[in-house]
Amino acid sequence: MNLIKPKKQPSPDATVFSGSAPLPEPLITGKQTFASITERISAIVEGKPPKGWMIAFSFSVSILLMLLGTIGYLADEGIGIWGLNNPVGWGWAIVNFVFWVGIGHAGTLISAVLHLFRQKWRTSINRFAEAMTLFAVICALVFPTIHVGRIWMLHYVFPIPNQMEMWPNFRSPLLWDVFAVSIYFAVSILFWFTGLIPDLATLRDRAKTRARKFIFGALALGWRGSNRHWQHYELAYLVLAGLATPLVLSVHSVVSTDFATSILPGWHTTIFPPYFVAGAIFSGFAMVMTLGIIAREVFGLKDFITLKHLDKMSKIMLVTGSMVGYSYATEFFIAWYGGNGYEMFAFINRAFGPYAWAYWTMISCNVIIPQLFWFKKIRSNVKILFVLSILVNVGMWFERFVIVVSSLSRDFLPSAWAYYSPTIFDIMTFIGTFGLFFTFFLLFLRFLPMVSMTEVKGVLPAADPHYKAPEEVKEND
Amino acid sequence: MNIDLKTYLLTDTASTRTRLLALGVLGLVLSFFGYFTNPAQFYHSWLVAFSFWATLGLGAFFFVLMHHVTGAFWSTVIRRIVESVMGALPLLLIFFIPIIFGLHTLYHWSDPGEDPLLIWKSPYLNTTFFGIRTVLYFIVWYLIISKLYKLSVNQTGEEDLRRMRRVSAAGTVIFALTFTFASFDWLMSTDAHWYSTIYGVYIFGGAYLSAIIFVVLFALFLQHNGILQKEITSEHYHDLGKLAFGFVIFWAYIAGSQYFLIWYGNIPEETVWFAHRWVGSWKTASLVLIAGHFIIPFIVLIFHAAKRNTGIFKAVALLLLVMHWVDLYWNIMPSLYPDGVRISWMDFSTMAGIGGIFLWKIWDNLTRHPVLPTADPYLMQSINFNKH
Repeated sequence: MNLIKPKKQPSPDATVFSGSAPLPEPLITGKQTFASITERISAIVEGKPPKGWMIAFSFSVSILLMLLGTIGYLADEGIGIWGLNNPVGWGWAIVNFVFWVGIGHAGTLISAVLHLFRQKWRTSINRFAEAMTLFAVICALVFPTIHVGRIWMLHYVFPIPNQMEMWPNFRSPLLWDVFAVSIYFAVSILFWFTGLIPDLATLRDRAKTRARKFIFGALALGWRGSNRHWQHYELAYLVLAGLATPLVLSVHSVVSTDFATSILPGWHTTIFPPYFVAGAIFSGFAMVMTLGIIAREVFGLKDFITLKHLDKMSKIMLVTGSMVGYSYATEFFIAWYGGNGYEMFAFINRAFGPYAWAYWTMISCNVIIPQLFWFKKIRSNVKILFVLSILVNVGMWFERFVIVVSSLSRDFLPSAWAYYSPTIFDIMTFIGTFGLFFTFFLLFLRFLPMVSMTEVKGVLPAADPHYKAPEEVKEND
Repeated sequence: MNIDLKTYLLTDTASTRTRLLALGVLGLVLSFFGYFTNPAQFYHSWLVAFSFWATLGLGAFFFVLMHHVTGAFWSTVIRRIVESVMGALPLLLIFFIPIIFGLHTLYHWSDPGEDPLLIWKSPYLNTTFFGIRTVLYFIVWYLIISKLYKLSVNQTGEEDLRRMRRVSAAGTVIFALTFTFASFDWLMSTDAHWYSTIYGVYIFGGAYLSAIIFVVLFALFLQHNGILQKEITSEHYHDLGKLAFGFVIFWAYIAGSQYFLIWYGNIPEETVWFAHRWVGSWKTASLVLIAGHFIIPFIVLIFHAAKRNTGIFKAVALLLLVMHWVDLYWNIMPSLYPDGVRISWMDFSTMAGIGGIFLWKIWDNLTRHPVLPTADPYLMQSINFNKH
């Protein structure tokens, strides 16, 4: 042992290493070339929409109209049309808000975190996952906008200087939500747009009408694909990924403080921030899986969103689902261990009280069912995956419902206890946001490339600097 | 020490072995002498040292689990180093024996008396069950670790990687549960009234970070002595640096969440824990922890160059390793010295005692087998990783 003077090692003898690595399985199947990828993806945007798209779009728009109608009625009548009662002052509005924000986590996780982790499989799904994020966040923002019924008072959520010197309470986590979610939305949209630029330029170059040429030309920001453009682009993308990564964690951590900073039993527990983040990623991936499976079937993208992608997403859902299960278990254990009667009551009430049906739905969908992802057979069965991914989001909705409603409906004062049930307007508002979500999402599928052409080309074998085409290899022999 | 480049076995390792063993024996002898001068100090110092080395071993264990679960190959070249740390963990069970003897000094719950809260917790926090749990954790860890280690040293190809991956996937679940309860038992219950659901994750953050930087320091030590100089490149340090950077933030995120929610809720039964750590010189210790465990390494490691410059990285790694010890000290010691920090020589002797033996076992593990997993099919990819 010599701590002062470094010693030199003789040259290694590489021949002792016996193993040789198998070639990695290709991420994109079906012998794609650069040209075929451009052709395949652009065709969806340039051609006529399939009939299925038209039907789905009309359906979504009608649901969206229902949402607008419900909101109009709400503005006229006030929140009395909802099922809120005295102890349960927070009902479906916040449940739905947290549900949608949670779904909005996968997009940025896939694009930013997986980019930093050099996970190349993200390339086929990142574009539509990011779009999904944006639309999910828009749906989430509907609820804070309407939640007091007086939509015209919305500006009070922002700290706008005014002559009355009235400010929102900066100590309130609800105000932090305004900042956290709007920053997240702004960065996500920037990130998404930055990634789109080279593809927009491709669409511009292929455009056959003046309108398309003008619109895509303006959006492509003068992209010429020069070396310098690429250099700036990749650096900007990396920096944005670095900035977006902490946001993935911060948004849902802030959302969790809406509950955890209070002293309500069942809400006030220190594990909430990471537990909420894990749940958000869990539900977000479930949504990406649902949409991805539909997209690959409807638009014939099985070469791009392959079984390998679904397999990896299942694994992430297994991990995050287990983290959520871990949090449920820890909360339950500490509720007993802490010896606080109120805390214990809150948890026993959740599992065996009037909302036991919701609690066990949550446990089944979030903890038990994802254990099926342990099996390779399940992970490669598209039909089962589709069902499971929907069940996960059912479970994640119920998680928020259980947290919000079970703790509120039986608080410290037993004489005030009341059972909460939603009204038809609660349900219509929630379903209506799906109309909003799918309207946006279908428009996106129709008008923008849903798979990143540039990035998918980057993971083809031909993009490797050491790649030799089969005919080249032959000539050299 | 030298390396045989035909087999990648280390040679002339005896002097290091002897020195580490001597360090351990000296530390243990001094510590046992210390026991007779001040048993309470001895037990508390011992618990800090035990937790330090145990969390380090557990962090390395988790590193190996993640390596296999994620199918990583950048870390194949350092896998043996991490495995040798992981392989030393089961040995630490013998160092748990003094803690059993010191239960009454360390843990108030072992004698609940009239305290209703401690009586309430006694089905979980009682001497017998506590001992059984710790033995159980170690048995489970031993089983997984020895399985993984055996598969690794006998590896012949791709198929063994798949086997290790399967063991690791199940192992990760078991790790999460056992680690959480171990941290509740050993550390959180030193203040038996207090509780926090995030506590297991908090200790985990520090444990994994300490293992990452220990691997960095260990690799630098080997390279300094002419071993693996060509195989471990700045690319590997860069990635380890990113991982360390990530977990510097993770630790701060978790520690911050715990503090923030308790501060905001302002319920006395929870705030008391932080109130004890804001008295007298404990306040300084708390601030040192924030600066040393988060702010300084965060600012330094954010730079590309700092992760690739071995000098800077070594300094940050040493700081973080010390800070991991400060973190555990700060968790345990206020129950012994509520008025302020009182560093004792036994804090160092117990660290040297357990550490010497632990490092000796690590060294023993590393020198028994090739320092590279030579049969791993991804080894060459790992060595040439990111080289163009």
